[in-house]
Amino acid sequence: MTGARRAALRSPIETLGATAMQVAREAGGITLLAGRVLRCLVPPSMDGRELTRNMYRMGNRSVPIVALTAFFVGGIMVIQAGMYVRQFNATGLVGWGAGYAIFREIGPVLIALMFSGRVGSNNTAELGTMTVTEGTMTVTEQLDGLRALAIDPIRYLIVPRVVAMMVMLFILTVVGDLVSIAGGMLFSRLLIGIDPSTFYYSLVDNLDWIDFVHGLVKSAVFGLSIALTSCYFGVSVRGGAVGVGRAVNAAVVAAAVSIMLLDFFLTFLLP
Amino acid sequence: MRPAPPIRVSRLEKAFGRRRLLAGVDLDIPPGSRFGLIGPAAGGKSVLLKLLVGLIAADAGEVTIGDDKVTGASEDALMAVRQRVGMLFQNYALFDFLSVGENVAFPLVRRGVPRDEIDQRVRDRLRAVGLAGSEGKLPSELSGGMKKRVGIARATVARPEIVLYDEPTAGLDPVTTSKIYDLIRADQAETGCTVVAVSSDVDALVGFADRVAMLHQGEIRYQGPAAAVRDAGDPAVRQFVRGELEGPL
Repeated sequence: MTGARRAALRSPIETLGATAMQVAREAGGITLLAGRVLRCLVPPSMDGRELTRNMYRMGNRSVPIVALTAFFVGGIMVIQAGMYVRQFNATGLVGWGAGYAIFREIGPVLIALMFSGRVGSNNTAELGTMTVTEGTMTVTEQLDGLRALAIDPIRYLIVPRVVAMMVMLFILTVVGDLVSIAGGMLFSRLLIGIDPSTFYYSLVDNLDWIDFVHGLVKSAVFGLSIALTSCYFGVSVRGGAVGVGRAVNAAVVAAAVSIMLLDFFLTFLLP
Repeated sequence: MRPAPPIRVSRLEKAFGRRRLLAGVDLDIPPGSRFGLIGPAAGGKSVLLKLLVGLIAADAGEVTIGDDKVTGASEDALMAVRQRVGMLFQNYALFDFLSVGENVAFPLVRRGVPRDEIDQRVRDRLRAVGLAGSEGKLPSELSGGMKKRVGIARATVARPEIVLYDEPTAGLDPVTTSKIYDLIRADQAETGCTVVAVSSDVDALVGFADRVAMLHQGEIRYQGPAAAVRDAGDPAVRQFVRGELEGPL
């Protein structure tokens, strides 16, 4: 067997092995980071100013884009349901249908994906710029700068970001759910002529608090997942500016995959 | 402020992969001295400076600051040592999410100094480095030289017992270089701190320091009074300090 042929045969196995090693390394790194964050949170000890700053820029500044998206999501739900509502004259079920889908699935998942794209990627880039190395030296030395000032970078930089992302994604999901319902209510009036009070009573009579809480629990877990992946890829950047771009890409992909996997298991486990 | 402690480095070794940067370095830095570390570029000077405060782990050997052992110490123990040290980094290490004023104030805020005193000391420090009124600017709005001066202000604002300067005048014009060294000298005279400076600007550093060491190929080739380095017995040291083309380097 020639060397080239042997290499061609070995290549898919090597690629598979290398990918498995890479995934294991990243999952291990994220788990270790989660452990260190947890150690800082019991008892809670973090920089309050950094927490406030991160909550503001991650949460408040995301409200317009989340609200806009959520508003039209409510409309889309009504458009999709409109044909069957007319066909079966099921106007009394529109509020329930839209609310059930928004609260349990569409709201938390879509807002988490938006949040990951806007906040998670930005977080990876910011941490990446602070920690990026070229060869054996850190480029901007900001992480070393923190350590030289006797500050634990995990406690100062990572913990406030993790807490801010969890809390703000939770709040954004509440806001998004409500805006989405408002959008659904408006579009059902405009497009299929359903009175807002009919939509409202369909929603509150047929849905339980648990439907709302189900989605909020998911959003907190998604927030943790986005925070850990974006921080992990941010602090492990290698290879200069190009490395920062690669890390942002990897963080967004990892967060999206983890959101979908977690959604599957949480839907299965939660009431 | 406590009196500056001595710094002792003993048989220190550090390699990155196959590249051995330090091969058994011994240094004695007396308390309250102005100590200059010179040597060819990429020879491990900055690495040695980071090893002094445990920002990098040594492969072998020992670093002690006063009675505190740095090598092998836990991160918590190192935090206590670093409270006594200020450091200027080669690439400034300014936090780009904080303004100039917040960067300089940072070590004081972490030490719980009252707000009024912080504001006063930040103003004084920025005036001393020639950046009065720059408190509200972001690091991204500054030139390299200005960033360097902000880094010096931050390294010294808490009046640490030891200040480490990694290339304090790189990229600065000769006049600003002289001003920076005058400022460091005046600070050191006032506080009695130990200053360790690494620089490629040999003339300026030798003029500033009272003791000098030269690191070459992982070893200390000279350690002694700055005034005598030009006439050192080692021809490599003489050639480097005099900037001669002919010689063993």
